Amino acid sequence: MNRNAAKRSTLITTGALASLSLALLTGCSAGGASSSSEDGDITLTLTDTLSETSAPVYQEVYDACAAEVGVTVEATHVAGSALIAKVLQQASSRTLPDVLMLDNPDVQQIAASGALSPLSDYGITGEGFPQGIIDAGSYEGDLYGIAPVVNSLGLIYNVDALAEAGVEVPETWDELRAAAAALTTDGRYGLALSAANSFEGTWQFLPFMWSNGGNEDDLTSPEVAEALAFLNDMVQDGSVSSSVVGWSQNDVNDQFIAGNAAMMVNGPWNLPKLTAAEGLNFDVVQIPVPTAGDTSIAPLGGETFTVPQTGDEAKMQAAGEFVKCLTEDEHQITMANGRGAVPAGESAGETIAADNALLAPFVGIVADARARTAILGEEWPEAATQIYTAEQLALTGRATPAEAFEQAAG
Amino acid sequence: MNSTSPRRTVPMTVLGVVILAFMLFPVYWMVNVSLQGGGMAASSDIFPFNPDFSGYEKALSQQTGNLLTSILVSLGTVVLTLAIAAPAAYALAQFRLPGKGVFQFALLIAQMIPGIVIANSLYTMFNELGLLNSIPGLILADATHAIPFAILIMQAFMISLPPSLVEAARVDGAGHFRAFWSIVLPVSRNSLITAALFSFLFAWSDFIFALTLTSSDVVKPITLGIYDYLEGNVQSWAPVLATAVISSLPAIVLLVVAQKYIAAGALGGAVKS
Amino acid sequence: MSTVLEARTGSPVRASRPRPRGGVRRETFAQWLFLAPAIVYVVVFFGYPVVKNLVMSFQEYTTKTFFTGEAPWVGLANYVEVVQSTFFGITVGNTLMFTLGSIVGQFVIGLLFALFFRKRFPLSGMLRSLLLLPWLLPVIASTSVWKWILDQDGGVLNQALGLVGIGPVPWLTSPDVALIAVVLVNVWLGIPFNVALLYGGLQNIPDELYEAGALDGATGWKAFWHITWPSLRPVVTVTLVLGVIYTLKVLDIILGLTGGGPANSTQTLATDSYFRSFREFDFGAGAAVSNILILFSLVFAVIYLRVNRKQVDE
Repeated sequence: MNRNAAKRSTLITTGALASLSLALLTGCSAGGASSSSEDGDITLTLTDTLSETSAPVYQEVYDACAAEVGVTVEATHVAGSALIAKVLQQASSRTLPDVLMLDNPDVQQIAASGALSPLSDYGITGEGFPQGIIDAGSYEGDLYGIAPVVNSLGLIYNVDALAEAGVEVPETWDELRAAAAALTTDGRYGLALSAANSFEGTWQFLPFMWSNGGNEDDLTSPEVAEALAFLNDMVQDGSVSSSVVGWSQNDVNDQFIAGNAAMMVNGPWNLPKLTAAEGLNFDVVQIPVPTAGDTSIAPLGGETFTVPQTGDEAKMQAAGEFVKCLTEDEHQITMANGRGAVPAGESAGETIAADNALLAPFVGIVADARARTAILGEEWPEAATQIYTAEQLALTGRATPAEAFEQAAG
Repeated sequence: MNSTSPRRTVPMTVLGVVILAFMLFPVYWMVNVSLQGGGMAASSDIFPFNPDFSGYEKALSQQTGNLLTSILVSLGTVVLTLAIAAPAAYALAQFRLPGKGVFQFALLIAQMIPGIVIANSLYTMFNELGLLNSIPGLILADATHAIPFAILIMQAFMISLPPSLVEAARVDGAGHFRAFWSIVLPVSRNSLITAALFSFLFAWSDFIFALTLTSSDVVKPITLGIYDYLEGNVQSWAPVLATAVISSLPAIVLLVVAQKYIAAGALGGAVKS
Repeated sequence: MSTVLEARTGSPVRASRPRPRGGVRRETFAQWLFLAPAIVYVVVFFGYPVVKNLVMSFQEYTTKTFFTGEAPWVGLANYVEVVQSTFFGITVGNTLMFTLGSIVGQFVIGLLFALFFRKRFPLSGMLRSLLLLPWLLPVIASTSVWKWILDQDGGVLNQALGLVGIGPVPWLTSPDVALIAVVLVNVWLGIPFNVALLYGGLQNIPDELYEAGALDGATGWKAFWHITWPSLRPVVTVTLVLGVIYTLKVLDIILGLTGGGPANSTQTLATDSYFRSFREFDFGAGAAVSNILILFSLVFAVIYLRVNRKQVDE
């Protein structure tokens, strides 16, 4: 028995040593895979998170800008939820693409790691873009990501349903609560929103939190609890389905289109599907505020384009020019119209507002919108998790709104 | 236990069909929605009265490449798995080698590791070796799902092989490998096929390695291809589910073909004959 | 270290063994060659990730690390943070209940199906193959469909329950019921695997045993208890142990159905590890949780195998 035990321990030690040495070997990643690009024959790799439906819209713009800058662009689409994991792996193996699309709340995280290059190197300053957008894409004073189009949240309502019930479009919280109650009938809820346990739930909670004066760096303040209590009240009233804790924004949109909700909190990316729905007469206003006269502050969404540090000067320069081209007004308008988004630039925004009646309200909303990472920067993901955790606790009756945030922080 | 009286078999068939109806209802629903082009999965009819094949058209026109990739990767995984696992299983079952128990336990532990942990480590390794976005890379990775299990299954069978079987050949002068190839493998056919089937299915349904170890459309297994339609807004569920249905067809074909061998049982066969 | 299995093999007596060519050394070397590829594969593809994950759990590993390679050593800090978090108890409890519920459900139903389909009747072969369908479909598609089936308002399940007077159950949106719903779906997904293994095991039992038993008056339940169950023992062991190990790892099913919610009611160690790593970018903590998960698996496997060996020895 002893001989076997001794042999066994030898085996284990050898195995461990082998694994360790292997780990060390592969752990020391080789230097950056810098590919020398021949003059005038540059191919840029681009990674974005567009779905199969939005990709063609952007491809148009990619082709146009590629032609303008004089390069070839190879675009790869990655599922949004998997992008960060991919980016991190590529960062560690020095194989980041030349142009990288990042959702704006992630820019500061990635910039903090040193993986991105400042856009000022390519003459991109963000002039003519609203402050919120600059904030979202900046880290320690430098701009790293710029979003050609952005989005936000508004209150989308069924015009016919409101007219039928004789309900006016709500502008304050009290009006919203009353309207939602009045619009709730058999088989239809007054209001639908997303309170899922993901960053989508957090995203949809922000307009209520911010408009009430709450901030993400102090989640246990009464203003934040009030906002949560407001939503909870509507669920208790029965005007908002308790299933919202499981709905993504897509689900909310589906419910609205199916007539199961008279109003919904959602964004402009749903416009293509909403306009395609037969017989649906809808309109958009800003999300109601706590008291008349308050500013409605909605969160700023939208993907930015960044230029990662790849070590290849020529390619990075070309990539910078490419990204600059993407932010030109005409391209902003193409993307905005094709996808249901708002051009980030003020002048392009005005053009769209004049042409597209459904996007116009969103243009106004975006002007006051706030970036999620404005205050907390890289610390945002933790706070975001606490927010949706607390929302879930409260809306499922597991805790009162005030307790919910205490628990979520633990 | 094997009653074959005619009067009892027909009700059994009926019961069998009822059981299957309950078990497969979600599959039915999947096919149902895939044939209803409209976007609203929540409010689909209970039966596709007006079948709409646009989902299938889309899926077939865009996913056949991915389907082929999946097939190649899965078959490759089967080959690799059997090549590594069969000899190992035989050795564990029949040879007296020191540290066998440790290795068996290591195999068990290997299966406890969450796929995502392995995938992340493999990324770094594959990047060094240039195995990303490649079919051989995926084969090597998917085999992690299959090899420990295959060794387990085949070992359990090979343990029951009478040593006299092999000894006879060895007396005639055959080496270990010859004996293994000419005698053990043919006799273990059923367990080989069972292991092959499980390996194929594990590789076929793999998602985590497909996601982590590829970053382009060139090599894209179908489990990943389905995600093309799922990101952003899902405008319509039909292509998603059509892809799902199509992606299960090769596996079904294989299953029907192989089930004859599975019926004999992975662990039986040699004992009876 | 002789295992029970080895004892049953009955290795040949030295005297009748043929003289190996080239001596005993060569023989052993040849034998090792059989095992070598597997050993190499396991060390490279499993050993390396395990070691890396273990090391990572003792480090402060964030997004910065991926680019700079710096990961300061923090000892047990990650483990302490994880264990002391408000929701750790719930997570562990969910993990245990999810696993227990899934295994019991999958195994019992799987065994019943295997026994049922063992009898020969028209179409039994085809039906048995079709039973494996849930296993063949992409998980994302299956979970999406189940989400609709379990939808509180429009889902088919509640509509069916409504027909017998049971009120709409908030399957996926109430913390009280969500875990049950997730277990239900996991059982559905796990039945084919259990049926396949158990059916194979049943096939292995010779008919003669039953015929002999029948002569002694052992039929039906007695036959099952005295003949089927003991003969099935090894297969049951494999099925249960693997079942637990695989179930503890389950991630995409829960992510697809509930994402760990509502209110953490379906959060397991697997999902917690994932979220810590890929939502909060705290990879050290994520690794710590996954190591705790592996530990659970390990403890279960060791205990079960010990208990099983004792019983077999008796």
